[in-house]
Amino acid sequence: MEIVRESSSDNTGELIQLVSFMLGEEEFGVDVLKVREIIRMPEITRVPNTPHYVEGVINLRGKVIPVMSMRNRFGLEQREWDKQTRIMVMEVDSELMGFIVDSVSEVIRISEQEIQPPPAVVSTGVDHECLSGIVSQRERLLVLLDLEKVSSKEDRMLLSM
Amino acid sequence: MPFAPEDQELIDGFLTETTELLDKLDDDLVTLEKSPSDMELLNGIFRSIHTVKGASSFLGFDLLVKVTHKTEDVLNRLRKGELVVNPEIMDVILEAVDLVKVLVGDIKAGEIVEREIDGTVTKLLPLLSEGAGEATVLAAPQQVVLAAASAEEPPAEAGEASSCSVQPTKEKAPSPRPAAPPAVAPGKELKAKPEDLTDSSTVRIDVKRIDDLMNQVGELVLERNRMLQLDSDLRSGADMNRFAEEFGKLAKRLNFVTSEVQMQVLKIRMIPVEKVFKKFPRIVRNLARELGKEVELHLFGEETELDRSVVDEIGDPLTHLIRNAMDHGVEMPEERAAAGKSRCGTIVLSAAHEGNQIVISIKDDGKGIDPDKVAAKAVDKGLVTQAQLANMGTREILDLIFLPGFSTKEVTTDLSGRGVGMDVVRTNIKKLNGIIEIRTELGHGSEFVLRLPLTLAIIQSLLVDVEGEIYSIPLAAVFETLRVEMKEFHTVGGQEVLKLRDSVLPLVRLERVFSVNHTYANDVSCYVVVVGVAEKRVGVIVSRLLGQQEVAIKSLGKYLANVPGIAGSTILGDGRVALIVDPVGLVEGNEGGSAGR
Repeated sequence: MEIVRESSSDNTGELIQLVSFMLGEEEFGVDVLKVREIIRMPEITRVPNTPHYVEGVINLRGKVIPVMSMRNRFGLEQREWDKQTRIMVMEVDSELMGFIVDSVSEVIRISEQEIQPPPAVVSTGVDHECLSGIVSQRERLLVLLDLEKVSSKEDRMLLSM
Repeated sequence: MPFAPEDQELIDGFLTETTELLDKLDDDLVTLEKSPSDMELLNGIFRSIHTVKGASSFLGFDLLVKVTHKTEDVLNRLRKGELVVNPEIMDVILEAVDLVKVLVGDIKAGEIVEREIDGTVTKLLPLLSEGAGEATVLAAPQQVVLAAASAEEPPAEAGEASSCSVQPTKEKAPSPRPAAPPAVAPGKELKAKPEDLTDSSTVRIDVKRIDDLMNQVGELVLERNRMLQLDSDLRSGADMNRFAEEFGKLAKRLNFVTSEVQMQVLKIRMIPVEKVFKKFPRIVRNLARELGKEVELHLFGEETELDRSVVDEIGDPLTHLIRNAMDHGVEMPEERAAAGKSRCGTIVLSAAHEGNQIVISIKDDGKGIDPDKVAAKAVDKGLVTQAQLANMGTREILDLIFLPGFSTKEVTTDLSGRGVGMDVVRTNIKKLNGIIEIRTELGHGSEFVLRLPLTLAIIQSLLVDVEGEIYSIPLAAVFETLRVEMKEFHTVGGQEVLKLRDSVLPLVRLERVFSVNHTYANDVSCYVVVVGVAEKRVGVIVSRLLGQQEVAIKSLGKYLANVPGIAGSTILGDGRVALIVDPVGLVEGNEGGSAGR
């Protein structure tokens, strides 16, 4: 709460809300407006002949949506799903898509001015072009993701071949 | 010029009515050309134009009034017998109707554009002068004169020709207009496509159908209440035996009511295929004149109903096939006469139901498709190698015309022969889960048969178990299922095959195609599902058969739209997602695999 007050009082930049989630040791954030819902792991149906990070499809109340593993997408080691594992259902290119993350932490508010451009090199395998910025608050470092890039056009091209 | 909002309602009504009238008009006019003495038809056409004129003058669409007025006058003279219907007059009238469509299209778009209409109107005028009757009789010799004249002034004519792409008939068949000033560029103003008028965003539904649906929904509500009641009974500790009995009854009724509702909704979505068919007489007429061929189009089964989503999609493929039949199929009149056929070619377009499929056939009595020519061409274009060709039967060779980049005509015309047509046709048909077959007899004509599902929403399917994963195979593609001992399989050239009666069936292991992990202990026997597309058959090896079920097709979304071998997905009774296998993909994937080896 302290952070929110700080940022809203000492600058006039627009406030945005982020959903933060964990992948391994790193914390990431996406715009809350892109997130439709956050669900526990349902049964996933594998879809053959797709890239390794596409886990399959799920039944989201009668709608079939694809689900991809963020760990696999960013080349992190695989991990068993546990009680914390969540699927973040997000709207990408006006279609719903699920992203599997280790855990979802909270919704935070930051001012746009706090977002810095992404550094040139990132430690993990996250593609540089998927990053839209970095938010650094005290001991906390949040990496902002651009989801349109995560499920990028090239992927779709690959799939359509 | 946007319209005042208070007029919008009137205009909407006008548009709906006019669009319907105009849709019918094309068809009627072409029919009239064939039977010029049909007074009733002529009167009907006259009334349609008159209605459009009246309504547009009331609403103040001046351009529209001007065109319809002149057209009406010409029709009136036809009616009185002062003029006789002939192709030249019909060209002009059709052009005028096209112009009316463009103008109506403008109104629909909410913007009235100042369009140049004088060109068309000027063409109508000579038909109104007293001597017009004689002028049309003289039309044939005049054509020669005009052609000669056009050779003398090439720049002007060439410019005109390039600008009037919508009215290609103009050059070959100039209308008799002895008094027409040469400065007018007829047809120039018709930039927009007149065919785009119809839209299917609004529907007209029989009130009775909606009432029926409401009744069914009422019953559904009753059953829901019954279910809630049962649920609360169970919670308050009702007798289990009684509950089981009641629940069984409920399940049966619910099943019944749901399928009724499904039927009703399906019926509401059904529209007659006539909606697509009715534009073809006009297309055929124009093409025939353009190509200098004589062709008669016969339509059958226009009343056959199918899902609106399918109707919307088949228009383009059918147009392609009709054009192909006109361009490549039916020969020139002299050629036909020399081959001992009647000068006038016939194209038969028919639709019929067959089980829960609709079968549309386009049949011509032209020269047919020569497999040798097709083969030579395909090799020439580098689409197949001689070695591949040697292993192909006639059917496979004919199928080559569906390959991208294939075109047998030496000179490509602007009608067909761009080498994309058949490729696009097949892609479109595949998208609809349909199949296309070719039947051809050299010298006697060819037939293209499209088999399409009635609806894209719900299909009958066979659920199969592949090493623990459930897949759904569209029942329309399944011919039979067999239980087979593994040791009965043979291997021919690296390809697993099964001897089935007196034929050899190539096999596809679904677990290999979909790289499923082995979970079952090695069985000695398995099931083979024989799936077929057109004449091709492939045996699909699965672990178990789970049964037949009606499933609702769910799209996998844009992201997974093109997964090989997968056509879509569905949700099973227990909420799990099962993938729907694409039989066409399997059959062709198998071919590609064996050709590569």
